[in-house]
Amino acid sequence: MSIDWVAFIADAIRLSTPLIFAALAALICRQAGMFNMGLEGMILWSALGAVICAHYSGSMWIGLLGGIAVGLVSGLIIAFASISGKADLYLTCIAFNLAATGGTVFVMYLLTGEKSTTAGAFRSYQIPNLGPDTPIIGGLFKLIEKIPVIGRIISGQSLLTWLALLSVVLVWVLLKKTRLGLRIRAVGENPHAAESVGISVPKVGYVSFSICGVMTGLSGAFLSMSFVTFFMKGMANGRGYIGLSAQNMANGEPIGSALASLLFGFCQELSTTMKNQTTFPTEFLEMIPYAATIIALGITGMLAIRRRRRVESGQAAAKEE
Amino acid sequence: MSKTQKIETTMEIVRTLVGLVIAYAVALIILFAISDDPVFIVRQFILGPFSSPRRIGSVINLAIPFTICGLSMCFMYAVNRFNLVPEGIFMLSACMVTFVSVKLGNALPAPVMLPLLFLVAALTGIVMAFIPAIMERKFNANVVVVSLMLNSIIGFLATWIMRYHMKDNTISFIGSLELPENAQMPRLFSGVQEKEGFLAVLKSFRVQSGLIIAIFCVIIVAIVFYKTSFGWKMRLVGENPQFAGAVGLSAVGISFAAQLIGGGVAGIAGATEMLGNYTRFQWTATTQHGFDGLLVAVLAKKNPALVPIGALFLAYIRIGADVVNTSGDIPKEFITVIQGIIILLIAAESFMSGTKHKLIFKAAEKEEAERKQKQQANTAA
Repeated sequence: MSIDWVAFIADAIRLSTPLIFAALAALICRQAGMFNMGLEGMILWSALGAVICAHYSGSMWIGLLGGIAVGLVSGLIIAFASISGKADLYLTCIAFNLAATGGTVFVMYLLTGEKSTTAGAFRSYQIPNLGPDTPIIGGLFKLIEKIPVIGRIISGQSLLTWLALLSVVLVWVLLKKTRLGLRIRAVGENPHAAESVGISVPKVGYVSFSICGVMTGLSGAFLSMSFVTFFMKGMANGRGYIGLSAQNMANGEPIGSALASLLFGFCQELSTTMKNQTTFPTEFLEMIPYAATIIALGITGMLAIRRRRRVESGQAAAKEE
Repeated sequence: MSKTQKIETTMEIVRTLVGLVIAYAVALIILFAISDDPVFIVRQFILGPFSSPRRIGSVINLAIPFTICGLSMCFMYAVNRFNLVPEGIFMLSACMVTFVSVKLGNALPAPVMLPLLFLVAALTGIVMAFIPAIMERKFNANVVVVSLMLNSIIGFLATWIMRYHMKDNTISFIGSLELPENAQMPRLFSGVQEKEGFLAVLKSFRVQSGLIIAIFCVIIVAIVFYKTSFGWKMRLVGENPQFAGAVGLSAVGISFAAQLIGGGVAGIAGATEMLGNYTRFQWTATTQHGFDGLLVAVLAKKNPALVPIGALFLAYIRIGADVVNTSGDIPKEFITVIQGIIILLIAAESFMSGTKHKLIFKAAEKEEAERKQKQQANTAA
């Protein structure tokens, strides 16, 4: 078994990109006190929306914007049902995901006559990868490529991968340094207290779902316009849920969530590489990312419980004194 | 029952029905908008499922797994744990009963074989439901995410069992070895010889004998829900966990037990479908039955006695979509969108809540007026 480890890491980062966006989307909703499982369906709709917009407008950038817009609208639909409609958020999201799995196939069939992929019917557009051939900053990458190992990893990544890294910082700034972020966190911490100081809880909910929608839009657009260049039935493949668990692992912190997403991206890449390299039954290799998610949820849960116990025992000791 | 309660119950029913009507109307509008021959297609969608005995039979056949899965999801939904693992259990238990029966062959007579297989299926379900439940109990892991991830894993596991342990190499498609005869459940009335008459009509429906199992399950689950102390505790824990805790019930323990039972029921659903409808196991992905079960449980408002009605409705629109799919240009996937709309409308508390409040308010006003009148009459006297 021979693995090109540099290519392996570069691919793992590529695979992490949609997960990072998904984790950021999940963590904004979580900070506002909502557990948004609808990510899966939102990503799926965005991926389809991006391909459709790109095909009919003939422009990759409009495709990207279309993906983001579709993500935004889907976020608002869930927000409307759960905030204004007072439906149970879990049920709303399950219903939304269900409608997305069938609905995307339905829309795809209406437009292309195909039920599994748009590959043949739609022209493919790819969001550019940043490398030595990129205009303006190409020179910079020529220099970077000369650095051993790291150069090959950094050069040639998608524009969206860079945007994902930038988003991590932006989300961190948004949550920690802006007034809106403070409000989102206040609502998540205690909606009643937030309401009593004049914050409109529904409004904050809608805003966080919108930001979440933009992130899932980017995630979906990456899947259908960069990872591959077509839409495929069920292509989100659990990425929304994986993003949710990544965010859960890091306790809702942006940077930690991104690192957890990298871990899951690594697991996915491991599964693909091993499929090509070994004769081990592929079914078990395919399980790796999902099993990793469950194990990660277990471990983080255990750590959180232990931490809480320690705090509680500390408080008890303080009281005794 | 007080007046307010009465209004609330009626409004719940009205709300559900209005939700269904709206969703059905949306389905018709979609069909009307995209079809080349809308009148024909809409008629096919509405009347198609009743157009032949075979199709009526398929509605019933489809409603059978929906019913049992709906019962399974009732347990999860009653304790407010959206443990979605029945989706995976349905596939895995079907796989396991095939595996066991293929390995045993014709060694056992059917009366021993079938109960054994159902036991295997129920155990499979319990073991699988145990994983998300224990993860939540011990590690506080989100049960929805864990169960969904587990479903993906189960899908691969079942495919692996089929491909490496019971694959039939003599057929051109991927499928398991054929079920031995003593494990196959016959269709109802398949022994009828007459060509005409009532029994022959029943035979032409080709209903699977899982119908008996489904009816049996509905009765048992309804009894568990409404006639046992466990059912009462379970509903209490789901509706008001704080109160349940205050009166000394262990919310964690009861919801844990409910999830395991729900898993067992889902296992029975998978086995029923497999043994009653197929001769080989050939699924390579999970079948959506678990999510359909959730829809049925939502439609039935977690009431096991209403589950068959929800299941029949779902089966009816599904077969309608199938008919439309084969006789027209409409892909049957549109039905999942309709399903989503139904869940949303029924789950949304504010849907028609204005009307409900108005009715309650009016009733209260009327009562108040009557009371005042009585008082005045009294003082006058």
